[in-house]
Amino acid sequence: MEQQKPPRKVALVANCLLNQNAKVCEGARYRGVVSPVVEALRSRGYVLQQLPCPELAFAGVRRWWAVYEQYDTPAYRAHCRRLAQAIAPLIERFLRDGDEVILIGLDGSPSSGVRFTSSKPDWGGRPNRPEDDWEIVPRRGIWIEELEAELAQRGLPPIPATGWALDMGRFDEAGSRRDLDEFLDSREQSQSTSSGENSVRTSGEGSGTP
Amino acid sequence: MIGDIRGWRMALVPDTLINTPQRLRAALPDVLSVLEASGYGVLQLPPPGEHGLLLAVIADQVQEYSHHGYAVVAIGVRGEAGDGLHWRRIAPLLRHRGAALPPRHIIRPDVDAAVEGQRLTRWLAAYDLPVEEQHRWR
Repeated sequence: MEQQKPPRKVALVANCLLNQNAKVCEGARYRGVVSPVVEALRSRGYVLQQLPCPELAFAGVRRWWAVYEQYDTPAYRAHCRRLAQAIAPLIERFLRDGDEVILIGLDGSPSSGVRFTSSKPDWGGRPNRPEDDWEIVPRRGIWIEELEAELAQRGLPPIPATGWALDMGRFDEAGSRRDLDEFLDSREQSQSTSSGENSVRTSGEGSGTP
Repeated sequence: MIGDIRGWRMALVPDTLINTPQRLRAALPDVLSVLEASGYGVLQLPPPGEHGLLLAVIADQVQEYSHHGYAVVAIGVRGEAGDGLHWRRIAPLLRHRGAALPPRHIIRPDVDAAVEGQRLTRWLAAYDLPVEEQHRWR
């Protein structure tokens, strides 16, 4: 008889949280790994699963910064769906194994934003930093939208998510860390009251669609 | 790039070196901490199994980096299939994309983990692209 593995705590992390080289030009705030995020997750016993970077593979590593509306094209969404299909089997395995899965995106990002994305419907033409101005709006980035749609299509439950607020304009590392700690603390509390709330250990049928 | 402190170096890393199982923790150095301290970014490889599309997506990223002035290395672990690097799958994907195969460093679980950690640190510090290539891009 196959031995059942104990459930794990799994954190899906935006690609650039493990590799700042993926950031848009002038956007890297760490050399490589975003240490405070990794420290917060590992100290709580999470295993890490890095997500692909949709912008890097689409617009290249020397791309300029952009807002949600500039990436909101059929071609970019199709590209995000391909990436979602590449990583979804791993996520599905975690959930079907009964693991607790969370998602840490990148708030303010047009692609990886979770709580917030950047918006400016009439933006275009030549980038002009620091004069460039955009709004931060409460909305998922396009990559997160497409990833969540792919998981829902597979009958998987929604994944509790938050974002590291790196792309919100002025980066406040201490504030970002407080937010992340609060989110992780709230997950621990909810897990202690209801085990495996977003898992689908009994394979076959999902426990609900978002 | 104003205010940008990216390190321009990164490593392909097996899942088992990022999420080391309990049974191997004493035998392996904390590779993620070594990479962090060395200023390297991480490209995480999936655990053993069939991950054709995901490996293609990772190869796309390595191609983009290696053609634009970034140093990419691979860190394997002896005793895992393909050193944990999916090398038999990823090497042809990289060749097909015209990307040079990253230099490999293999961790030895039968050697003291602290010693292996120091060996990895030295290897990472010594590696980068040729200076003229760095000047062209960075």
